[in-house]
Amino acid sequence: MEFKDYYQILGVDKAAGADAVKKAYRKLARKYHPDVSKAADAPQRMAEVNEAYAVLGDAEKRAAYDTVGAQAWAQGARSGDDVRPPPGWNAGYEFTQGGPAGAGASFGGDGADFSEFFEQMFGRAQAGRHPRGGGAQASMRGEDQHARIELALIDAYLGATRQISLRGARLDEHGHVVPEERTLQVSIPKGVKEGQLIRLAGQGSPGFNGGAAGDLLLELHFTPDARWQIDGRDVTQRLRVTPWEAALGAQVPVTTPEGTAVEVTVPAGSGTGRKLRLKGRGIPAPKADATPGDLYLLLETAVPGAITPEQKAAWQALAKAYPGFDPRTAG
Amino acid sequence: MTASPITVPAELIELLDDALSLHELAQCCRVTPEWVLTHVQAGVLQPQHGHAAADWRFASTTLVRARRIVQLEQTYDADPQLAALAADLMEEVARLRRQLGDL
Repeated sequence: MEFKDYYQILGVDKAAGADAVKKAYRKLARKYHPDVSKAADAPQRMAEVNEAYAVLGDAEKRAAYDTVGAQAWAQGARSGDDVRPPPGWNAGYEFTQGGPAGAGASFGGDGADFSEFFEQMFGRAQAGRHPRGGGAQASMRGEDQHARIELALIDAYLGATRQISLRGARLDEHGHVVPEERTLQVSIPKGVKEGQLIRLAGQGSPGFNGGAAGDLLLELHFTPDARWQIDGRDVTQRLRVTPWEAALGAQVPVTTPEGTAVEVTVPAGSGTGRKLRLKGRGIPAPKADATPGDLYLLLETAVPGAITPEQKAAWQALAKAYPGFDPRTAG
Repeated sequence: MTASPITVPAELIELLDDALSLHELAQCCRVTPEWVLTHVQAGVLQPQHGHAAADWRFASTTLVRARRIVQLEQTYDADPQLAALAADLMEEVARLRRQLGDL
């Protein structure tokens, strides 16, 4: 496992003061913000930057980190105590959970994004090695963990299974910090919405000294797909029709996002931009007493090219049949 | 060292939907209940229903927004209204991007 150079990640000197560290962090947090960053690796860089600030922005953690340094780490040091003589009357390092509030949380997920390096030095198990005041350790509830899941629209219709890897650390029987990666297989029920949260009780970080485990909170997001627009449980999809279907009306076959084939009546005189509603064919309701969403079909008239002489003649005849029609002034 | 996947039993899976209490919202955002209270009073977060704070129920979309606001406040020492403004803009950008997918 590699030593993480947090100073390099934040672009600050080892002697940088707390203010300089904070300024550097804020600048990078803005640069790699997921909503505005064009960088392909923005989420990873963001996680890296957050972790670096979680350490360098916290006086205790920074002190421990500075003490260990790359060389000591390579030689097996895993905490400040491994390098310094055991602390005397000032009962060791006391790490607060998660670092400066917020810095531990990336925009993507809290805690689950921290590297193995961080977990070895600062993870919850480390907190157990250095109890406050040296007295009996209180039991602590495990921290909640957050993770983000991307779904396709069909997953909201049918439900889906996802595997999630969570990184943490635990103490083994010798009291050593051992990184732990848990992989969970989760069934996502059908009927979920954009931004939906799922709570998996007790699947977060393990508790401490008999404390209950935290929860795992999953945030669900739909991967953008050009075929559909999703708004809550309502879905809008494009329906392309011929000019004669639009003008004369027609029964048109449509495949819903779920894959069901239905026949839709396009009313006569439909123009581009008209919406037809298929009630209840949007994202299903997650429980019996909730309403399913609707499927909206956004009509778009597809105009075929006039290639053959017959086609050209047909269009010209059509134009003749509408001598006064001027779409640039109508409506 | 990765163990084989643990299947989470369905009973443990709970869809949080428009029913988060003030305390649950606070817990999910790792803030105090007081933080939630002041932010509702400031108009930065809105409960779906309920008059008294004990009856407030928040949509899970509000939770996403709240976490974003916590993030902004703590990263930038931002005034809550400024954080809310940034969150509003982010939501608007996301909405516009979804609409753009239509073109």
